[in-house]
Amino acid sequence: MSRPNHIEIALVKIHSGQWFTWTDSKNKIYANLRLTDKIGVDGNIVDNTVTELPTESAVNAKLKEMQDAWDAANG
Amino acid sequence: MALSKIDVANMLTGATPVANGGTALTSGFVNGITMVDQWRLTTSFSGNADPIASNWERVDTDSDGVPVGTGMSESSGIFTFPSTGIYIIKYQGVGHGLAHSQRLSWNIQVTTNNSSYDMGSNHHEHLRFYGSSLDTWCSGFCEHVLDVTNTTNVKVRFGFGAGQGGEECIGDSGGTYTGVSFTRIGDT
Repeated sequence: MSRPNHIEIALVKIHSGQWFTWTDSKNKIYANLRLTDKIGVDGNIVDNTVTELPTESAVNAKLKEMQDAWDAANG
Repeated sequence: MALSKIDVANMLTGATPVANGGTALTSGFVNGITMVDQWRLTTSFSGNADPIASNWERVDTDSDGVPVGTGMSESSGIFTFPSTGIYIIKYQGVGHGLAHSQRLSWNIQVTTNNSSYDMGSNHHEHLRFYGSSLDTWCSGFCEHVLDVTNTTNVKVRFGFGAGQGGEECIGDSGGTYTGVSFTRIGDT
């Protein structure tokens, strides 16, 4: 994989499952980030257990952490 | 006198012969494929989704050409058919893992009572672990032929299983990684 370069890559690592969505899936910026209403768990569609979006700075920090790890592993 | 046109409606009777020993055509015909639709996952996620309940969109890039006819409708990951008939459902998936080495699964789930779902088709793929800093990819595919006798009760949805929980199912709105297609091939 190339060096992590998008916040979605970080979001996937912050929580598991389909906890987030975009108001515009072709413009995936933090301002368009939303929580999903429902998730699929063990065959049932239930309320999203994640109730609060991470802050933009927290998302960016996670992305930077992943980039640093990638840099360390790939020289 | 040379004929420039043949009045098929009035002059043609009986069976129309077929070349090379085929069976003669004796009845009216309609177009074989009247419905095709294709949807995809727009957003990646990690872990299980049973079912994938959000982030579906109809494929809308690269002169996709869908839907043909009236397409599927989707709500919370549950797909409803536009009419009764025999359908081929295809489900492709792309998985990714970093420091995970368990199997991934993609499955088509079917209900005939609009309530409880059974496994229609399932594909498992093993994601090989190369090292803690090396990521790996894999793909999965399964298909199911479904007789939709009732559009209210017969529906489908799609699942993803992550063996260790950290594996990802890849979605993208710019091109299809994980997606499904529906083709109606005939009457029920």
